[in-house]
Amino acid sequence: MSHEKLRTSRKWLFLSMGIYLVLFVVGLSFGASTLSIDRLIPVLFGQGTFKEEFILFSIRLPRILILTLAGAALAMAGAVLQSVTRNDLADPGIIGINSGAGVGITVFYLFAGSKIQHFNYVLPVIAFIGGLLTAICIYFFSFEKGKGIQPVKLVLIGVGFASALSGLMILMISSAERQDVAFISQWLAGSVWGTDWPFIVALFPWLMICIPIIYFKANVLNLLTLSEPTAIGLGVNINKERSILLVVAVALAAAAVSVTGRIGFIGLMGPHFAKRLVGPKHQSFLVITPFIGAILLVLADILAQIIFSSAAVPTGIVVAIIGAPYFLYLLRK
Amino acid sequence: MKVQIEGLSVGYEKQTIVREMSLQIAEGKITTIIGANGCGKSTLLKAITRVIPYQGGNVIIDGKSIAKMNTKALAKKLAILPQNPESAQGLLVQELVSYGRFPYQKGLGSLSKKDKEMIEWALEVTRLTEFCDEPVDSLSGGQRQRVWIAMALAQGTEMIFLDEPTTYLDMAHQLEVLELLERLNKDEGRTIVMVLHDVNQASRFSHEIIALTKGQLAGHGTPEQIMTPALLRKVFNIDAVIGNDPRTKKPICITYDLIKGEERDEEMADDFARTLVGSM
Repeated sequence: MSHEKLRTSRKWLFLSMGIYLVLFVVGLSFGASTLSIDRLIPVLFGQGTFKEEFILFSIRLPRILILTLAGAALAMAGAVLQSVTRNDLADPGIIGINSGAGVGITVFYLFAGSKIQHFNYVLPVIAFIGGLLTAICIYFFSFEKGKGIQPVKLVLIGVGFASALSGLMILMISSAERQDVAFISQWLAGSVWGTDWPFIVALFPWLMICIPIIYFKANVLNLLTLSEPTAIGLGVNINKERSILLVVAVALAAAAVSVTGRIGFIGLMGPHFAKRLVGPKHQSFLVITPFIGAILLVLADILAQIIFSSAAVPTGIVVAIIGAPYFLYLLRK
Repeated sequence: MKVQIEGLSVGYEKQTIVREMSLQIAEGKITTIIGANGCGKSTLLKAITRVIPYQGGNVIIDGKSIAKMNTKALAKKLAILPQNPESAQGLLVQELVSYGRFPYQKGLGSLSKKDKEMIEWALEVTRLTEFCDEPVDSLSGGQRQRVWIAMALAQGTEMIFLDEPTTYLDMAHQLEVLELLERLNKDEGRTIVMVLHDVNQASRFSHEIIALTKGQLAGHGTPEQIMTPALLRKVFNIDAVIGNDPRTKKPICITYDLIKGEERDEEMADDFARTLVGSM
């Protein structure tokens, strides 16, 4: 890597970290009841009132941490999907993996009911199974013998799966109790619901395992974005690497949406912005991708609270309001 | 390094494209595969380089079947330049060339001293050193093709396989690419195997030509042995006039006509109709 490029990479890494930290602080002090910025440090060190401490440690901090982890996970999942499928439009939401995870959650919810809160460790696993089954189906349908994965076909089939599975979820809950319906519809809208410490503990290991694997495969990812014969010629075991990376991406996305509800577009925008800033080489852009994902999701959550403070609009809706026009812009390009 | 092809059959689904072909690729030479559209030239090249699997027979490199070899180990022996590889958006020339070092890298993929030397050398041989910090997309077609060749060179293999390396290039750039390959063969002793459409270029630059027709070997020999009216008639269904290049003394096809009034005409019309349907 040339020195100039290395410098730009570093610059953007520090800048995105900085922006994230600012949003982190803003996010802590924003909300239904205010906790002004100058009170943050005293409260952090145990000098706050009971009410202040409750807001900070039981509501705000876990929420922001969940949003951070989920944003990072979704962006990394999107980055991997885009490279593996050689399609810039790939995103765990758009190609139906999130909906597959959602079906898993719905089925589980219909059994567990309101006790679902106690199954925080099981939820990501259930979502992962649902997401993986969907991914395998999509992969299978968009695979052509002798040619491999067809990127355009994959997105079309994925979009089909996404809407079919959302329909399936609605079908499943139509016979359920009213409060169950409320939970599922909130999940579909991407209202971040698992905002408590146990969920952070449940989500964190998934990132700790999956993200290092992705960094370790940066070189392979570089080659997978080239044409298939080129990658094979350079000695990439395409089928094996694709399978591993696909499973990792599904694991990240499914684990994230199991606690945040169906949030799309972060996996699309995160890696795109990162590539635009530091170039398409994975060693460069994968470093800032999780930060950008976290920034986008935390920002969307703050916006949801500022703009729509009275209506309690789900974060997923705000992300979609930003993400959908960007998706259309990419389609036109 | 020896490449031995024994009774090789390759195909997709039920359709067999290459039928029980046996031949040996000359070591340290330039070999060109020629043949009409759809005769299986590209398929043969892809099968030899394990880009597609084969159904029957065997491809043996250094006494070992490629089907049983580790793909990364094979990447240290042979490099491939596929037909019109897509350009990697936004990548710099030296980044793309550095991908050629993949078979030698482990883990996170930082470049060793040897890797850097090979990249530098590959850029130098292809005369791209001055463009090393430019995005690949910003280069002309001829330069871009040289970047892909540089990537294959950085792979440091004894053998290089190229599928139509001159397609979409103008006359001067075509020659530039072929002369580069010739130089690599002469100075570095690399074995080069390529698919070309232009029989005159094949004749001028190759030590050996493999002529295919309908998935079978029509001839394999020196340009003088292959560039005959009878063989070109068999391979391309043309009536060719063969002369000698006044400069290189190699045989060339001066002019040619289609052969008319035979049953092949009908077949060609069928072929044409199929291509039309296929491209829609």
